[in-house]
Amino acid sequence: MRNIIVCVKVVPKADNVIFDPATKRLDRSKAENQINDADKTAIEIALRLREKNGGKVILLSMGPPLFENYLKLGVAMGADDAILLSDRNFGGADTYPTALVLSTAITKIGDYDLILAGEESSDAALGQLPGQIAEFLDIPQVLFASSVKLEGGKLRVRRRIKGGHETVETSGPVMVSVEMGAVQPRFPNFEKMKWAISGFHLKIWNSTELNLREDVTGLKGSLTLVKGLIEITPSKRKRVFIDGNVEEKSSRLVELLKERSLE
Amino acid sequence: MIKKELWVVVERDGSEIEDVSLEILGKSAVIAKSSGYNVTGIVLGTPEDAVVRDVIRYGADRVILLKHERLNQYSNDLYVKVLFDLISSELPAALLVGATYYGRDLAGRLAARLRTGLTANAINIKMDEKGLLVFGVPAYGGKIMAEIVCETARPQMSTVRPGTFSKVFDQGKQGEIVEVVPEISKVQDRVKVIERKTNKSKDLTKSEKTIVGGNGVGGDFSLVWKLAELTHSDVGVTRPLADKGIVPRELQVGTTGYSLKSKVALILGVSGSEHFTSGIRDCGTVISVDIDKGSEIFNHSDYCVVGDAAEIIPAVIKKLEGKI
Repeated sequence: MRNIIVCVKVVPKADNVIFDPATKRLDRSKAENQINDADKTAIEIALRLREKNGGKVILLSMGPPLFENYLKLGVAMGADDAILLSDRNFGGADTYPTALVLSTAITKIGDYDLILAGEESSDAALGQLPGQIAEFLDIPQVLFASSVKLEGGKLRVRRRIKGGHETVETSGPVMVSVEMGAVQPRFPNFEKMKWAISGFHLKIWNSTELNLREDVTGLKGSLTLVKGLIEITPSKRKRVFIDGNVEEKSSRLVELLKERSLE
Repeated sequence: MIKKELWVVVERDGSEIEDVSLEILGKSAVIAKSSGYNVTGIVLGTPEDAVVRDVIRYGADRVILLKHERLNQYSNDLYVKVLFDLISSELPAALLVGATYYGRDLAGRLAARLRTGLTANAINIKMDEKGLLVFGVPAYGGKIMAEIVCETARPQMSTVRPGTFSKVFDQGKQGEIVEVVPEISKVQDRVKVIERKTNKSKDLTKSEKTIVGGNGVGGDFSLVWKLAELTHSDVGVTRPLADKGIVPRELQVGTTGYSLKSKVALILGVSGSEHFTSGIRDCGTVISVDIDKGSEIFNHSDYCVVGDAAEIIPAVIKKLEGKI
């Protein structure tokens, strides 16, 4: 197989992000970061495909320099290479310029059979980047996949549809987004981690290297705008605690269910 | 010249229109009424006449039927091509698509080809004083709603979360039907479907009584089904259980699953991450059982039972069966 390129995003853990109602801003400073779970699933699928069919697994991410260490974690999982697309001009991008930057980098890497990504990121949960990247690369797309196999030179992908799944076939190159949890991602290997930190050279490409004008990337290249953030306050619940032993609790539950005709 | 038209891509399975498409038609009709816009439903393929009529009765002022046998089944390559061509010549102000698997597959690529902005999973749509659509979308596990606009590019595009808006049916509503036969003889479908397996699963967004199981229900999920049967309820699960494949993904509750609007929801063995609790926000009464008194789920519950769901479920089943 030729190159397998995996698009990866580093995201803050949602539960650690604090919303300040006064400033209407998000405070991510206390949030721990991680590789987006669905993207980790995509890395695992890429590694398994390589183990069977050869080729190189290349991780690709757009973001600030702090993403470097997370990409190295992916290298320690077994990826052959990792490239970070980092430039001040890339900041504030919605998915359109993000897809443009990623697809430009993918074209620069070249020689690929498969582009993988997680189905969506846990922070924004849009899931639209894979389709946009596929469009910019003019390659077919298969989204929400749970398995990707190379059989007789063709890619056979199982994807989720309403109420079930489809098995589809396509010849590469193709863009595939994978469902979180489709496979269990492996842990980073300790020896590889040492190498990823001290021996591995992570490439960083900026707008000059990608030959992208300032006005097509980042905030300037974005087509949507976040006008405001509104905190969603959960509706006030009664929060009545029911005490007692299992017997008493279950009796009370049955009463509650009967009162509400849940019987 | 951009037309004051709100377009809705109507997704259908044979003669059955997806509820989310009807919900968007209903919402669009409400927006259109107060703003002088009109609503156009885009139907693809060769459906029965009743389908087209229903699109009008549920809110469209006009239907454009992209009539071609090859469009009866969703195909990314074909749908993007015919919709791009139609939109490029008709220039509607907005295009709304249900956030189903097919709808999301379509929207990203179509938006890129149209070089326009796309918002995902809207749970709120309004028009501001300048005539700009403002899409409310949940972020960070539903803790926050971001208000997104697309100021200059057209059409303004968004996918819309199923179960968010109400359908509006008007038996006597009349509308115009325009048939367009797209030229797709040279368009190849690069993704070939080998096999399709679906089963009619319950639409959780319509469930009146729901029992949701999480990791805390213990190893035997059949007890949850049993309890649901005894209480005539539907079953939902948290994402981890859906990921394990214990039940189909269609039964997943939360940000990446479905939002419940049940009158009563019984939540069993769920700790209550934000991804989950956003999915039970609109329920009537919420009753929860979880082993950890400090669980976040209890902040989102009317009745809270601190205890091992794996012990309590069988006890409740016994009582309901009248064994005690």
